[in-house]
Amino acid sequence: MTQLNETIHQPVRLRIMAALVTLGPGEEVDFSTLRNLLEVTDGNLGAHLRKLEEAGYIAVNKIFVERKPHTYVSGTATGRKVFHEHVAALQSILKSK
Amino acid sequence: MNISSSEAEEALAVIQAMMTRTRRAISSSGAFIFMIVWGVVWLLGFLSSQFLSQEIANNVWMILDILGGILSVVLGIRMNRGIRSTATTTSGKRIAFFWLLVFVYCVAAVAIAWPSDGKQLAMFIILFVMVGWAAMGLLLSFASVWPGLIITVLALVGYFLLPGIFYLLMAILGGGGMIALGLYIRSRW
Repeated sequence: MTQLNETIHQPVRLRIMAALVTLGPGEEVDFSTLRNLLEVTDGNLGAHLRKLEEAGYIAVNKIFVERKPHTYVSGTATGRKVFHEHVAALQSILKSK
Repeated sequence: MNISSSEAEEALAVIQAMMTRTRRAISSSGAFIFMIVWGVVWLLGFLSSQFLSQEIANNVWMILDILGGILSVVLGIRMNRGIRSTATTTSGKRIAFFWLLVFVYCVAAVAIAWPSDGKQLAMFIILFVMVGWAAMGLLLSFASVWPGLIITVLALVGYFLLPGIFYLLMAILGGGGMIALGLYIRSRW
């Protein structure tokens, strides 16, 4: 049986990962779009993204578009795998109820 | 790490809601505006065909098509989904090329058949656009196939069974339908 992942299970990080795995392969989401989707503050989102990045679950890509800095976020292959394992673990808890 | 089954259920519901929200934000953001723009073009264009002389209606259609085209390009450029993707860029180019082909095939078919009246010309254009709509729906989002099929059926019914009010039917049900669908997508998605 797969184990729950403590890093991902935190509510905001769970929603971040859910949003990122919904994107197609090779797609990355703009920081402000992700913030609006999650309805969190810049600081809060930034802190949780750092945690996920340190764990290797997401990739943060900082680029300049028309001389303005833009931050794009995507789920890594590891992050997607771990997220699906976490979902499987949650489902198995429900089944064993 | 241990959690109760109710916590697990809650977490799964949060995940599901977030995935749905993200999917809708990605797929619908901005798309509704094109339906409203072209719904207005159809509404005004077909109303002019129904109530004005053919010469004036042709000019109205030309002006509306130019305005609709310019507005679509401007909106397309300004539309920011907040998503970057090399795969999307490639498929976006293919979609644009597909619509270019549909346009070229439509012009070729019209040039060969050379429709004798405005209703036939309108049906040619409607059928080619609806074939493109169906193809896009099958590739991108199956649910969007249905409105296109309904508009096609309405157009065929109007053309063969209600020729006297064909333009009016297309204005209200075709143009109005697209505007209503665009507003529905905006409010519900």
